[in-house]
Amino acid sequence: MVLTSGWSGVCCLRFPIDSFLSIYYIVMEMIGEFEYLILSSAARLGAEAYGASIRIETEKATGRRCSIGALYTTLDRLEGKGFVKTWMGEPTRERGGRSKRLVHVTAAGVKEASNFFRVISRISKGASWTTNRLTTR
Amino acid sequence: MDNEPTNYSMSSRKSWPIVFWLSGLLGQAEREVVLGDLTEYGESGGRAIANVLGLVVRRKIAVLLDLRLWLAIALVVLPVSYLLSAIAETTAGQGAVYSWMYLNNWDWALTRNPGFWHVLREMAMNFSITCLVLACCSWSAGLLIGCFPNAILQAGRKTFIVLLAASFMIDAPARVIHFWMFLHRLPLRVSLPDIHAPVTANVFYHIFFPWIVLTILVIFPAFSGIRQGNRSMLFGPKMRVLLVTAATVSLLIMLIQAPSSGLLLGAPVRQWLWRNRNAMQVLPLSCCWPMFYFIAIGVGRYGRRKAAIMR
Repeated sequence: MVLTSGWSGVCCLRFPIDSFLSIYYIVMEMIGEFEYLILSSAARLGAEAYGASIRIETEKATGRRCSIGALYTTLDRLEGKGFVKTWMGEPTRERGGRSKRLVHVTAAGVKEASNFFRVISRISKGASWTTNRLTTR
Repeated sequence: MDNEPTNYSMSSRKSWPIVFWLSGLLGQAEREVVLGDLTEYGESGGRAIANVLGLVVRRKIAVLLDLRLWLAIALVVLPVSYLLSAIAETTAGQGAVYSWMYLNNWDWALTRNPGFWHVLREMAMNFSITCLVLACCSWSAGLLIGCFPNAILQAGRKTFIVLLAASFMIDAPARVIHFWMFLHRLPLRVSLPDIHAPVTANVFYHIFFPWIVLTILVIFPAFSGIRQGNRSMLFGPKMRVLLVTAATVSLLIMLIQAPSSGLLLGAPVRQWLWRNRNAMQVLPLSCCWPMFYFIAIGVGRYGRRKAAIMR
């Protein structure tokens, strides 16, 4: 393994081809952490995945507020990349007779989220917060 | 307020009209979804406003950062709005002179003169053709704008109206002063080199008539074209390409005909145009293709209805 400089200044590692592709994925194609949260929430919720339910799920998991603006612009971006499919549902009473924007994670979305998870798990191996060792001074 | 949430506190109820108004800045479908989410989530007043405002701002910024919008403005909206505004101004001037001649200076004695009827017939025909060509060109321009992607359509449409009005209002200060003088019954003074000075001295022909022409012959047809262009997304790609090409060609023809556009063409082209001026006078008639398009659509609809009745 040799460390070389290339890709217009991005530092890259000379690996066998599969590793090279995974690094390419990390640099060029990997989803962001908020996109991952949305994909995971939608996948967990299944048929019940829509704007408000994803928002509640994300807030529960992170303990932080999730704004509608961030949620819907991220959903649009994910839909643009082909990672989710959205459509308008039927109006319901608890929503004041208004429709939901239902969300379904596509096969490409599942692949992308699992790739993100794999990378995060791999990179976290040996980190102090995963081994309960205090390394900071 | 329709479907206002009932489980809200008093402060939330007060903020609901603001939330409702802000959500109006979003698209129809997104507005429904966002209001539904807020109702289901039971968001408090200030937070609901901040959430909707955040989404509106993100949406507007996304449109402004879209390179397609700026390309569409530079290549289509700006030249088209200037062109239509210039032609509308010329048409309004021509119409104002004819109307002033015949309506403001009507003389029954002239009706006994056969030459009067000949000139009137010729003038009416020329002016009708000019108006028809302008309306058809405006429709073609609207069609091009209506074919913009949905993400930039609304912004493109608004820019078109703003630029159209702005280029039409280049001499707006002079018109406002004229109107103010008219209201205060001050004697109207017009510049001497103006050969149509008696016409432009009339406040109706100077101020209102151009806007009437712009509204009837440019804005209404352009909006109809925008609607049709948006619907053309439902047509096949061949039909869409055909419509867009026809609209582009008509606008290019009108660009050659527009006042002072000859300066952009260069001397050899101007000479060629001058030598073939008789043919060039007929060329604008080709811009009237939307009429045949509407006739074809009407015949098609009639045929389908008849076939349905026969079945």
